[in-house]
Amino acid sequence: MKSFPLKVVTPDGLAFDGEAEELVVRTTSGDLGIMAGHVNCVAPLGMGRAMVVTEGKKRYAACMGGILSVIAGEVRLVPTTFEWAENIDLARAEGAEARARKMLEDKNTSQIEIRMAEARLRRALVRENVASGVR
Amino acid sequence: MAGVSTKEIKNRIRSMESTKQITKAMEMVAASKLRHAQAKIIESRPYFEIIYSVIQDIVRTNQDETLPYLTPRKGAAHRCAYVVIAGDRGLAGGYNSNILKLVTAQIKDKDAEILPIGKKAVDYFHAHNIPMIHEQYAQAETMGVGDCFTVAKELSRGFDEGRYDEVRLAYTTFVSVLSQRPDTMQLLPLNAEGEENAEKADILYEPGRREVFEKITPEYIGGVIYGALCESRASEQAARRTAMDTATQNADDMIADLSLKFNQARQAAITQEITEIVAGI
Repeated sequence: MKSFPLKVVTPDGLAFDGEAEELVVRTTSGDLGIMAGHVNCVAPLGMGRAMVVTEGKKRYAACMGGILSVIAGEVRLVPTTFEWAENIDLARAEGAEARARKMLEDKNTSQIEIRMAEARLRRALVRENVASGVR
Repeated sequence: MAGVSTKEIKNRIRSMESTKQITKAMEMVAASKLRHAQAKIIESRPYFEIIYSVIQDIVRTNQDETLPYLTPRKGAAHRCAYVVIAGDRGLAGGYNSNILKLVTAQIKDKDAEILPIGKKAVDYFHAHNIPMIHEQYAQAETMGVGDCFTVAKELSRGFDEGRYDEVRLAYTTFVSVLSQRPDTMQLLPLNAEGEENAEKADILYEPGRREVFEKITPEYIGGVIYGALCESRASEQAARRTAMDTATQNADDMIADLSLKFNQARQAAITQEITEIVAGI
């Protein structure tokens, strides 16, 4: 299978640099699949699971925020956070989920706190789904 | 050597030595933190370089002139927002005072609000009664990427809604281990240089050029703030290391000086005793 150069760069450093055969990421307008020879394309990323196929093996990651850019066959994924499934701290995500749910149930939470709790809950759910291998 | 007793000198030497131990330890801690901070700068750099190049591409190939965040605003009421990054602790040479002095000079006759990052910045603007947006980020040391993005979103929204006409960032550039320069840069309106001669690459923007631009700009600004934060942290540690190195050297000099005085005083006392014995007093 034809491969393409893929770079995953986050503010914390380089998460992946090498050849990949396939990439599927969640953009703000839905899942987007990239294979070798894709047209030049730029899309902002949403929150969700990313899949990378390298050397015939599928790898999953939680990928949130940032952008995807495909220019002249070079794919650059620039998310704010990118965590491989095996690196996700499941216990921490579950703790964050429980805390966020409690915040949302509380009647006294302010509008801003609700929005922040919602965002936290969504991040926690994405992490849990990726870590436990279900969509 | 009348006047100063040997005991007094001995005490001073002892206190000098303990000071020296402290400055020496601080220097070594700063040196190790500096190494980490330098690695962080290098790690974070590619991230916003890529985002910046995407923004440049969009601005360059842009046909409609209505992209937000770009147009400079002119008018009588020119409101500025300043993000000021300083340290949490003192004893870092001129690190804190240099950046705060620079900002104070720049906002002197401007209608400016400050978003301080770091305890020293918060304290300073409090003491000088300079209006602040809020002081949530009194801990520069523990501030993460997420916080930078929150700040960026907040400021971008403020700019979009017309609360600020200009957003600037004040931080300390890490030139080298021996030299750090306080500096300010403009975050908004964006000054992307749209080069005319560049070829127009056909790029598919999903869902649209404007949407991508609106989404990316706050993230770019967040990236810039994070980069500046990393640079400032490295500068702080470098400044502290240099200051503590000088302090240790000064302590050494003083100890040498005092030891000489101590020996002179001791010798004088012995000589006097001998003279007294010989004279049979």
